[in-house]
Amino acid sequence: MPSASLVFQSVVLGVLLGGLYALLAAGLTLYFGVMRVVMIAHSAFLILAAYLAWYAHRETGIDPLLTLFVTVPLFFAAGVAMQRLLLTRLRPATLTMMSVLLTFSVALVIEGLLGYAFSGTQRRIRLGYSSASIEFFGARVAVVKLIAFGMAALALLGLYVLMKHSRFGQALRATIQHREAAQLLGIDTDRIAGYGFGLGLATAAVGGTALSLDTTIYPSLHWHWIGPLMAIIVVGGLGSVPGAAIAAMTLGMLQSLLQLELSTTWAQTVFYVALFATLAVRPQGFFGGRLAQRF
Amino acid sequence: MTRKHRPQGGIAAATLALVLTASACGSGSGSQESSDDPILIGVSLPLTGDFSEPGKGVERGYKAWAKIVNDQGGLLGRKVELKILDDQSNADRVVSDYEQLIGRDEVDLVFGPFSTRLVVPSARVAEEYGMLFVEPAGAAPEVFTQGFENLFYAAPAVADDHYNHLAEYLLAMPESERPRTVAYAAMDDPFAQGTAYGLKDKLEKGGIRTVADEVYPPNTTDFGNIAAKIADSGADMVVGGTQYQDGVNLIVALQQLDYQPKLAAFSTAPTEPEFAKAIGNRTEGILAPTGYTQKADYPSNKEFVEKYTEQFGEAPEEDEANAYTTGQVVAAAVEAAECASQDPDCQGKLVKWLRGNSVQTVVGPLKWDDKGRPQSAHMIQQWVDGEIQIVLPEAQQETDPVYPKPKW
Repeated sequence: MPSASLVFQSVVLGVLLGGLYALLAAGLTLYFGVMRVVMIAHSAFLILAAYLAWYAHRETGIDPLLTLFVTVPLFFAAGVAMQRLLLTRLRPATLTMMSVLLTFSVALVIEGLLGYAFSGTQRRIRLGYSSASIEFFGARVAVVKLIAFGMAALALLGLYVLMKHSRFGQALRATIQHREAAQLLGIDTDRIAGYGFGLGLATAAVGGTALSLDTTIYPSLHWHWIGPLMAIIVVGGLGSVPGAAIAAMTLGMLQSLLQLELSTTWAQTVFYVALFATLAVRPQGFFGGRLAQRF
Repeated sequence: MTRKHRPQGGIAAATLALVLTASACGSGSGSQESSDDPILIGVSLPLTGDFSEPGKGVERGYKAWAKIVNDQGGLLGRKVELKILDDQSNADRVVSDYEQLIGRDEVDLVFGPFSTRLVVPSARVAEEYGMLFVEPAGAAPEVFTQGFENLFYAAPAVADDHYNHLAEYLLAMPESERPRTVAYAAMDDPFAQGTAYGLKDKLEKGGIRTVADEVYPPNTTDFGNIAAKIADSGADMVVGGTQYQDGVNLIVALQQLDYQPKLAAFSTAPTEPEFAKAIGNRTEGILAPTGYTQKADYPSNKEFVEKYTEQFGEAPEEDEANAYTTGQVVAAAVEAAECASQDPDCQGKLVKWLRGNSVQTVVGPLKWDDKGRPQSAHMIQQWVDGEIQIVLPEAQQETDPVYPKPKW
């Protein structure tokens, strides 16, 4: 039986991990909500952002967090471009299915280019504060993990405020809820969809930078992330940002706690067990609205 | 359409294979007549793919060996020539590579590839053809349990024996001083696990308790939870069955939890040149077994380090040294048996000689048991005063081991 302090330590680690999952899953569910697009390349962009942070730090010594000022706008623009130039070319009738293939190929291209540019060697950013930690009610919280969590929380909060309290957010939600109705109200849904896609990719930039602070990166790492993230958005209900966030926190916490009794390898399966269970019991997900029920 | 053609393709390939094998057998025995030809040595290495970095290291070691031998007039008066193929770190590819080298290219000798996962399938090919198979990198227990009769591992010790000197040192301490509990974490990889579990077996027999035993998959990047379990166990000593990056990640995660063991030992990672910078120079007291150091004063090592550095512009590491050792071992056998060809008599003589003799190499004198396991142990190095130094065994010692280790 694990001691109370170890359980508490695992809860803390679970919250920190869940926060990162939440941000990344939020982006993924946004693409689906706005465009009905399954974005396999989301985690590849995540790793790309992590590599850019690592590269900038190695070459110039600047703090990886500063790369956000470049990568966030860059990824937003890339997202808009990707939606306008690639995804809108797909036939609406087969959009969801074909988007899997299209974004799969984008993921492979990114992975291949990263491997070409930086080789397959595992990389890690060397920070002066990478092993620093602070005491939190008996548990130890690594500073880098706390920063990553803070970034994820801030980005999620920003996303929430944007979605709920801005005209763009209203238009985006209207587009998610009913595209034709939104058009009748005078919303340029194509433009909104492009921005929505850009927004999703911008979360990957934030997530990737957060990720690079405390873990090793290598070009094929994105395959490790996309599975759990896909499971999270299905459990949370496709298209539901709060659903994705709640599911991410729950599953991240479960994964962390399961590691107490099971091995690391088995703890990872929690995502897939949750995915099967959700599809069997409640296919629309636990927090999805009407949208999810249509799929 | 394509379906119709397939059987024909199969037959054609089979016929081709038969013809090739037949011609290979025919000419294989004929090639030993001309003794002025260079000695052709076939190797397949992972020059691309997962093991490309160590694979290239092994390639440099082999090339350094060939150059040094040729500069001194060759083997048996013949030049040596390497034929190196790229197996892309793929176990199927490595098999066809060695079949091609032995069958079609009619090489006189073969050297082994890198890593257990490639050594086992390629050793099977060499075994079928009756070729001597000296290899630089298959240290895991499973390499020596396949019943290979021609295999020799050209390094001081198999994975299980890497920590032997450390185990002896710890068990020789008075019981009140030595660590009472140990936490183990090992990558799910035969080599990495072998090192940690080899030590675990010995310490458990000596009465030192295991309080945590974690295994993680090779691509793990987040060690927070594993480190939390180790720190919570409060073990006096931590042992990591690690490769490179996982070792760095695990140590950083343990430091983040402010876990301060009396002794910390990790395989591979601490001996890498990048290690100190990677963990922010908080290296004090970390131990690692090592099969090779440039500083070891074995006679041929000085020559190797000097000439290697001249050729490649930097000093050799363990992969390069083990490849070079492979060359030295085969060369010693060739000179003693006075032959180098595919002829079964010759290969048999080479194998027989290595069974009964020891060879002076850059990693010290080597001799083998009947399964090809080398009979020495690794030196133990420790980070002392910001530098990695040999602490065990006493004969090679640069400084005394520090126990308990200072805070990291």
